[in-house]
Amino acid sequence: MEPVIETFESRKKHMCVKGEGLSIPVCDKASMPGTVTQRTCVYGGARIVLMPITDSIHLVHGPIGCAACTWDIRGSKSSREDLYKKGCSTDLQEKDIIFGGEKKLFETVLELNRLFNPGAIFVYATCVAGVIGDDIKAVCKKAQKITGCRVIPVQSEGFQDHNKTKGHWIGGDALLDYVIGTREPEKTTPFDINIVGEFNVAGDLWGIKPLLEEMGVNIISTMSGDSHVEEIAQAHRAKLNIVQCQKSSNYVAQKMKKKYGMPFLKVNFFGLDQTVNSLREIADFFDDEEMIQCTEKIIEKGLDEVQDKIQDYKERLTGKKVALYVGGNKAWSLVRAFEELGMDVMMSGTKNGIREDYERIKETVRDGTIIVDDANSTELVRLLKKYQPDLLISGAKEKYISLKLGIPFCDFNHDRISAFAGFKGFVSFAKEVDASVSSPVFNLTSTSLYDISNNLNSEKNLKTEKSSDEALSPPSGGDKHES
Amino acid sequence: MNHSNCHPDKKFAVVNPSKICQPMGAVQALLGVKDTMPLVHGSQGCSTYMRFQLTRHFREPIEVASTSLSEKTVIYGGEFNLMKALKNITEKQTPRMIAVASSCLTETIGDDMAGIVEKFKDANLDQDLPVIIPVSTPSYTESHVEGYNRTIKALVEHLAIKSVSNDKINIITGIISPADVTQVKDILKTLKCNSIILTDTSENLDGPLTEETLSLYESGTSVEEIEDTANSLGTVTLSKHVNSAGVFLEKKFKVNSIAGPLPAGLENTDEFIKNLCLLGDYEIPKSLEKDRGRLLDAMVDAHSYNYHRKVAIFGDPDFVSGMTRFTAEMGMIPSVVCTGTKSKIFNEDMDCISREKEISPVILAGGDLYDMHQAIKERGADILIGNSYGASMAQEENIPLFRVGFPIFDRLGAQRISTLGYQGGIEFVDRITNTILDFYYDEAGYEIIEQKTKEEVEKTKKSQYSTMEEI
Repeated sequence: MEPVIETFESRKKHMCVKGEGLSIPVCDKASMPGTVTQRTCVYGGARIVLMPITDSIHLVHGPIGCAACTWDIRGSKSSREDLYKKGCSTDLQEKDIIFGGEKKLFETVLELNRLFNPGAIFVYATCVAGVIGDDIKAVCKKAQKITGCRVIPVQSEGFQDHNKTKGHWIGGDALLDYVIGTREPEKTTPFDINIVGEFNVAGDLWGIKPLLEEMGVNIISTMSGDSHVEEIAQAHRAKLNIVQCQKSSNYVAQKMKKKYGMPFLKVNFFGLDQTVNSLREIADFFDDEEMIQCTEKIIEKGLDEVQDKIQDYKERLTGKKVALYVGGNKAWSLVRAFEELGMDVMMSGTKNGIREDYERIKETVRDGTIIVDDANSTELVRLLKKYQPDLLISGAKEKYISLKLGIPFCDFNHDRISAFAGFKGFVSFAKEVDASVSSPVFNLTSTSLYDISNNLNSEKNLKTEKSSDEALSPPSGGDKHES
Repeated sequence: MNHSNCHPDKKFAVVNPSKICQPMGAVQALLGVKDTMPLVHGSQGCSTYMRFQLTRHFREPIEVASTSLSEKTVIYGGEFNLMKALKNITEKQTPRMIAVASSCLTETIGDDMAGIVEKFKDANLDQDLPVIIPVSTPSYTESHVEGYNRTIKALVEHLAIKSVSNDKINIITGIISPADVTQVKDILKTLKCNSIILTDTSENLDGPLTEETLSLYESGTSVEEIEDTANSLGTVTLSKHVNSAGVFLEKKFKVNSIAGPLPAGLENTDEFIKNLCLLGDYEIPKSLEKDRGRLLDAMVDAHSYNYHRKVAIFGDPDFVSGMTRFTAEMGMIPSVVCTGTKSKIFNEDMDCISREKEISPVILAGGDLYDMHQAIKERGADILIGNSYGASMAQEENIPLFRVGFPIFDRLGAQRISTLGYQGGIEFVDRITNTILDFYYDEAGYEIIEQKTKEEVEKTKKSQYSTMEEI
């Protein structure tokens, strides 16, 4: 089989085409040293899972860079506090590296508690905190005893793995070990749920929540978009977990199933069909006639409102090719949504995929789709140049690679600007995709002044040819014959 | 003087930092070098989050390779990964130079980067290798400013060779915007001063829309130019905090060196030109005097709008002291100035400016934005000068934020913001005065006398700060 693009020998099997041979790329391997990897570290993975908890302080125990580069980058919106937007660090210095940073961490936690009176303080271990062996758990325990505030250790040393997925699990563990099940709700209903793996990026949660509430579902907690710690503490009393980002949060749902016997449903609110299916599945789960009827009404109303609004977009977008290169979940959850706009997903890939993720992608995409794992920036350039999609969906680091090649781009990561979930979200989604794909600027990107001067020259040549032709050609009237 | 490191409320925590780590400074320095691959020896997050910040500021693709360390490394050391990384880059990217910056992880586990680089060279004697330069940039000391300083020094230390004298001046820019590098180059051109810019980001970080910008940089300072720095007439460093390379060249090759100030505003730009003339024999052309006159003209035109407006400034130390002098020249009152980088030089600079300009700002050296916010609450400010991270502070205080510095991710054009030299100074005066006009004056340009109604305040806030679409 011919490799998808030219690259290192060991990287060739990280890219494949569905339907030809294996259909699942080699994955979950350490990135090659010396490449410009699009991956991040375990600390980053843990932090993005927990960062959207709005009433908490997120304290990074390490040198300043880890906090300074990841502070408020999630794009998660809040309807309440904005404590989570603060960039907090113990700013470890050389002497802390030598003598240990535990005392400084302890004092910092006390100080932050006094200054902000937060719902909780999450303490993240970084590479260097791990190497010098600071006992973060012990410090948190002691600080919690003194302050009365929840002080939660997150053992997220960056170097632990090549894959930030482990960071997602570590973030989940922090909630499972220290938060969930530590408080009883004042009241419960038969229809209590948790929304897991929804981070309210650009306000996605707010497209989902009203639909569920209208159905008659009671949301105990969201993990972790627009949430409070005390709400998550009551999550163990829900009757059902629904999981939106299955890349980061299946882990939490599975563990809650084991520990509390709580069932979970994998849902997806990107796209119309997926939203409809998800709502129906939730209603079916509760098997309540009133809820089922109500859900059908919500669906009817939702679809009605959307159809008219997306026609224009659909006309312009039909037949266009999309490439997805994302963190995880979106590599499969967005495929149907694009198909509903008449678009064709011709490539899908993730940066941190494990085998399970690629199986999901393989199930979702059609034959002939390119599936890529952990493409570094050189490979990404080659893929885009060779397969020329009409749109790339990815994050900030890939944005300008795509644009420089004249390929329209939408940020579906932290820097996303509008919410896409639910019925209303689908309209914003169509609008934003259209704004990139159909923008006239991309008709100009391949033009140059040289083209103009070349055209000018050929026009000039034509003119001279023409005038010389005129000079040579016989005057009208067939004089030549006569002469 | 009102020096302090932090607000009395807060002794240990850093809340909303105004500094980044050393490897970030190293990478910023290397982005101005031609045909070079920066490599960060650490976990993947170090290079990835750095690229994330740089990319959304410059809105350009940023290539920084990683040695992708993982758990095994902590036990056995990072030698294998570093060797492998050097090999992979050499084979596939074929750069002229690879510069390796260390991280807190590799410094702590004690990787001998220089030794590993030598070992790599020995193992590949038969091959035509790129120049490889290791830079030690532990993240737990100093800040990105020192990372930049060490990197420029490492470049000249490894490369500068004495040969035939040239008639050039070495210019070490410090971390300034690509547009400001262009301003500095324009002044040099006007003076007919040949120069070597360390390092020249003006084209690399403000590139045209072409796929050529996706491979290694074709522009920027070349290895040959860095070699030639030993033969120059002198070195002018625009930042007093990144002077190590100048000092090194002076000691080793007797290339005279002058450090600072950042040419922000009238007097500092005058001083920069004076420094150039001290090192080389340049004649000041009429056009430069004209530019200077235009800046003065702009300052005079603007004076009534900005006179006695209180200004709060944060950013890198040389930027803050440059801006303090400039705004004081304009008749504004610097009320709070803050740099995240601890620095004695900064404190001395500020003392000197305060005495000269008869101002008494609260001076925070090694402070964070929490400290700064507390000081603004006490001292007051009509306008805030700094990067995008000042947005929430400005919103809370209901004052405008004048965006300059790094990072600026919530507005376009960060690479094109210029404040240096006479020309950049004119742009600054116009833009800051217009910001004041927008905020404090009505549509016809008359001062708003009555208290703004609550709705108006909300409206201003919304137009200033809402970057996300509400649903």
